[in-house]
Amino acid sequence: MSTSDEPVTAGGAAADAAGALETLGRSSGPASLILSSLADGPKHGYALTKDIESFAGVRLAPGTLYEALSRLESHGMIQAVESNDRRRPYRLTATGAAALSTYLESQRTVAEVGLRRLAGSWAPT
Amino acid sequence: MTAAAAGGQRPDGQEPAARQAARVRRLLLWYPRAWRDRYGEEFAELLAAELAEPGPSRRWTANIAVTGLRSRLAGAGLAGHPLDPAAAASASLATAATCVAVSVLAGATMWAQLAVGLQWTVPRDHGITLAMGLMSGALLLLALLTVLAAVPAAWAALAAAARGHGRPFLWPGAMIVCGVAVLVTGGHHVENGWPGTGGHLLAHQGVVPGGVAAFGWAATMWITTYWAHPAALAAFPVTQIGWMLLSPAVIGCVVTGTVRLMRRVRLSARAFRYETWLATVAWVALAAFLAGALSWLVSAGGGQEAGSLFRVGSIDRAGFAVLAGAMLCCAAAVRQARAAAAAVGPARPAAPPR
Repeated sequence: MSTSDEPVTAGGAAADAAGALETLGRSSGPASLILSSLADGPKHGYALTKDIESFAGVRLAPGTLYEALSRLESHGMIQAVESNDRRRPYRLTATGAAALSTYLESQRTVAEVGLRRLAGSWAPT
Repeated sequence: MTAAAAGGQRPDGQEPAARQAARVRRLLLWYPRAWRDRYGEEFAELLAAELAEPGPSRRWTANIAVTGLRSRLAGAGLAGHPLDPAAAASASLATAATCVAVSVLAGATMWAQLAVGLQWTVPRDHGITLAMGLMSGALLLLALLTVLAAVPAAWAALAAAARGHGRPFLWPGAMIVCGVAVLVTGGHHVENGWPGTGGHLLAHQGVVPGGVAAFGWAATMWITTYWAHPAALAAFPVTQIGWMLLSPAVIGCVVTGTVRLMRRVRLSARAFRYETWLATVAWVALAAFLAGALSWLVSAGGGQEAGSLFRVGSIDRAGFAVLAGAMLCCAAAVRQARAAAAAVGPARPAAPPR
């Protein structure tokens, strides 16, 4: 089952997740990329690196990737999937989905305000 | 012969499998054992996959080294921790306890020299008297804090033992009790054999009693430059040389036992905050001790006290550097402990009476 099909806990859980990514400190940037990558299904470390590189143009170094993975796992935002593969895959949890949703919504607000203001003041003449 | 056959880099930038596997194993060593046990296998797979691509750079290797070291620091409670807050707080408190122990050891060596010296003579510089006051006060405060910190930890360990979960505390407890017993007995025996603290009738008597000064000297006599002068060391009585070999092992035993106990004991949230508060006060005491040591180094370092009992030697300068380093490390551990203790949450309510 794809993780994206999981019902994301609304309301209280989303409110709890507000700002959860920011609590990850230096890992918050890589964490949002990892959560975005896992939003369409479980992936192992190398698959995460390649996927993030393809959609964000950022190549996460292995140390940075696993530092963020271990923090996300300890915060219950992702979960290791039982597998016989030595490359253990991870999947998004409901908490992680709520945290990502809250984070992306705030980013969208910032982007929309910035673009609107740019259009008003710096529109090409 | 090709570069690959010679064990070198292949023309496509990839490494031979055996060499690559060895490199992955070496890279994993940057991380602590607990981390490797959890993530080692999958991380090795990722590294192998990335090494199979051309061009992993020095920056790539440095990233692994830095994050591995950061993980080691986190394991020691000196950096942000992915573990649960209680484990992070335990690690931070254990590291703070280690720092205090190292500081006290380095500081007591300096303090004992001044304490013994003040039994016999009056220093010309008031800075040395000031130093002695600061250092003695700080050591007294640290001793009091040690007792206060030991109470909840010992209580939690005994409570766990009463519930039948005392096995993890058996060895650390035995190391602490036996170590302290040997240190006190041995130190007392050696101090009695040394006539250096009888005190001169006409000399200024310091704030520290002669017996305490002599015990401080006996407990730290192994921290000496005599080890670099075997001929001079050989002139020491055999019992003293034996004690100089035994006492560091005994002190190491006590510190190791304390750290293991601190890492294994599960304290309540309130006890965590109490221990963290004590660690903060201990840091302040260490700062006061460092100020006292600096006062001595500045006062006696000018040469006025050359040849006297208060002369500053290389071992004292090294001790000061160790003290300063341990104090900085303690500050980092206390900061992390405070953050972790805050995340542990409110104190668990007491169980209702049955």
